Amino acid sequence: MNRRTILKNLALVIGGSVLLPSCLHSDGTSYVQLKHVQINEDQQKLMADVAETIIPKTNTPGAKELGLPAFTLKMIDDCFNKKEQEAFVAGLVAFQNKIKKEHGKDFGWLDVKQREAILLAIEKAAQNAKPGAHPDPVTNFFSIIKGQTTFGYTTSQYFMTKEIPYELVPGRYIVHHPVSKLKLKTA
Amino acid sequence: MSENTYDAIVIGSGISGGWAAKELTEKGLKTIMLERGRDIVHVKDYVNANKDPWDFPHRGGRTQQMIKDYPVLKRDYPLNETNLDYWASDKDSPYTEIKRFDWFRGYHVGGRSLMWGRQSYRWADVDFEANLKDGIAVDWPIRYKDIAPWYSYVEKFAGISGNRDHLAILPDGEFMPPMQMNVVEKDVAKRMMEHYKNQRAMIIGRTANITEPLQARTNCQYRNKCWLGCPFGAYFSTQSSTLPAATATGNLTVRPWSIVTRILYDKDTKKAKGVEVLDAQNMKTYEYYAKIIFLNASALNSAWILMNSATDIWPDGLGSSSGELGHNVMDHHLGVGAGGTVEGYEDKYYFGRRANGIYIPRYRNLNGEKRDYIRGFGYQGAAGRENWSRDIAEMNIGGAFKDALTEPGAWTMGIGGFGETLPYHENKITLDKTRKDKWGLNILAFDVEVKDNERKMRKDMAEDAKEMLEAAGVKNVHTFDSEPVLGRGIHEMGTARMGRDPKTSVLNEWNQVWDAKNVFVTDGACMTSTACQNPSLTYMALTARAANHAVEELKKGNV
Repeated sequence: MNRRTILKNLALVIGGSVLLPSCLHSDGTSYVQLKHVQINEDQQKLMADVAETIIPKTNTPGAKELGLPAFTLKMIDDCFNKKEQEAFVAGLVAFQNKIKKEHGKDFGWLDVKQREAILLAIEKAAQNAKPGAHPDPVTNFFSIIKGQTTFGYTTSQYFMTKEIPYELVPGRYIVHHPVSKLKLKTA
Repeated sequence: MSENTYDAIVIGSGISGGWAAKELTEKGLKTIMLERGRDIVHVKDYVNANKDPWDFPHRGGRTQQMIKDYPVLKRDYPLNETNLDYWASDKDSPYTEIKRFDWFRGYHVGGRSLMWGRQSYRWADVDFEANLKDGIAVDWPIRYKDIAPWYSYVEKFAGISGNRDHLAILPDGEFMPPMQMNVVEKDVAKRMMEHYKNQRAMIIGRTANITEPLQARTNCQYRNKCWLGCPFGAYFSTQSSTLPAATATGNLTVRPWSIVTRILYDKDTKKAKGVEVLDAQNMKTYEYYAKIIFLNASALNSAWILMNSATDIWPDGLGSSSGELGHNVMDHHLGVGAGGTVEGYEDKYYFGRRANGIYIPRYRNLNGEKRDYIRGFGYQGAAGRENWSRDIAEMNIGGAFKDALTEPGAWTMGIGGFGETLPYHENKITLDKTRKDKWGLNILAFDVEVKDNERKMRKDMAEDAKEMLEAAGVKNVHTFDSEPVLGRGIHEMGTARMGRDPKTSVLNEWNQVWDAKNVFVTDGACMTSTACQNPSLTYMALTARAANHAVEELKKGNV
């Protein structure tokens, strides 16, 4: 088995273990039957495309391969209260409409550069907003996807075993450990 | 009857109940330990202890279902996905809040010894003398010299790691080698202590995590997953420490699912003859008899059992003759402190997850200082590097963002205060005879609040924290102060206090109920004041001391 297959299986295991029932798309995302919130297949695909733009596949796996869209859906379905769920879906719909209106097609049909530009513009506007101001629905939608995707990524088995040195049983405490010794892939 | 007769009954299996069982069985007494909840077997039943973070479907968070099921637990950090089974069900065991009180309970063998914070500090004479000097409540019937040998005794067996810091306010104990501060903590401590000319100290926490093997226990592996239960037995719990010792004597019987509903008082002998138990599973009632009874059901439930043990002599319960039973509810008030970032250590990190932090012992209202409040507070805290998921400007999405997530974040340092709460007679729990729990038993009603002294103290707790961190070179220091709610400290104390006079206290100097000398209460209920140190080590020492006295008195025929 090559590395890609291993990781794809890993994503299946992660997705499958936390989300049932679901059916898998050829691009690695899965349609998830939710219990408390209505998010249809197209919307889930859109969410996955947004997640993949935030954590893309590079020389390491991206959001879809790691099952992060399914994780985000699970968190929204189980952990968000009704008001938060409604606000998220409202933002999702607003985002869909905004993209259609401004670009004449769905987010998934745009190229990576266009997708990045759209999300960066939302993020920049949010950063320039008055502190404490209530975020608009689209910004709220984006922050949730970004937050949950990042959270799911940094707590994923892939990240915690391949990217940073997590050990279940460290066995010792070293008080002065240079960053250079962390065996970070990118440091 | 004979099969239900023992030499001793221990009610509760947490930190103090476990100690009572160990001491009594080792002294040869056939003992039954009654626990209201289920059994949790050491290691085998720590079902989540070896899970990785990604094994938890919500990564440890809380679902809406959990929030619905745990209306009290949800108020603070205990509601989480990783050890939910260790917390008592708010639905099965409700309580009435005349004023808000956060009550976080563990109803199973081991009680909260499985989830406790493990910080272990001795009290000093200034703590035992405080009520007398301030002229409030009642005087402690003991002084440091009475308890010091018992601190040594329990420290050696429980295994406390710590540094010998030679501080009058925080006497040294029988320590295993201390855990270490990380580079930032070391420097912050040095700068802070220099700034205050050593009038204030920052020391490594003294914790009931062993740093060397002890008995059958393995030293701490720096997992920092203690509250899941430790497969190495590296922190003190009933399961890792006192229960194996008690079991080894052959004198111990443990009966889970046993809710003690009352202590049976014998008017003729003026002593307790046993207890009544409601089996939480089959709902049948049983009686157990013994010469001595140790009541260790946790501060508020021990008071509940005493209040429930009403007779025509004492209609308000066993031990109620002074009018203090259920009164003087105390806790430590917390949720106030400061934090900031530390610069200049970007190339430094640490390895391992230390289940401990730093401690700043009390320094206020000592050596003649007089603030606009009495008593004082200590701080617990730590320095660490922020996690990998912080935001990075200009790389907010895409491959560069993904790469940046693997780089360690800023160093931060934070400290939070633990403040002494005074004993107020009007802070009380009572039986709510209008409401019942799942088992048809009347529940407790809470009428408890912090007052002026605590609120004034909190101003110092926030401002001092900021000043100390800034003096130590910490940047961007912000203070925090949440509305003080008692119970949050999970250090409930005071509902059956010790004293010198049966007219003003429930227990004597040996933790004996004045009204029934063969009943000993050695959990948080017995506390006459709270000091500001974490209390469990003191419960351990008082329990061992009381058990020794109980057996001596038994031999003399006095109980």
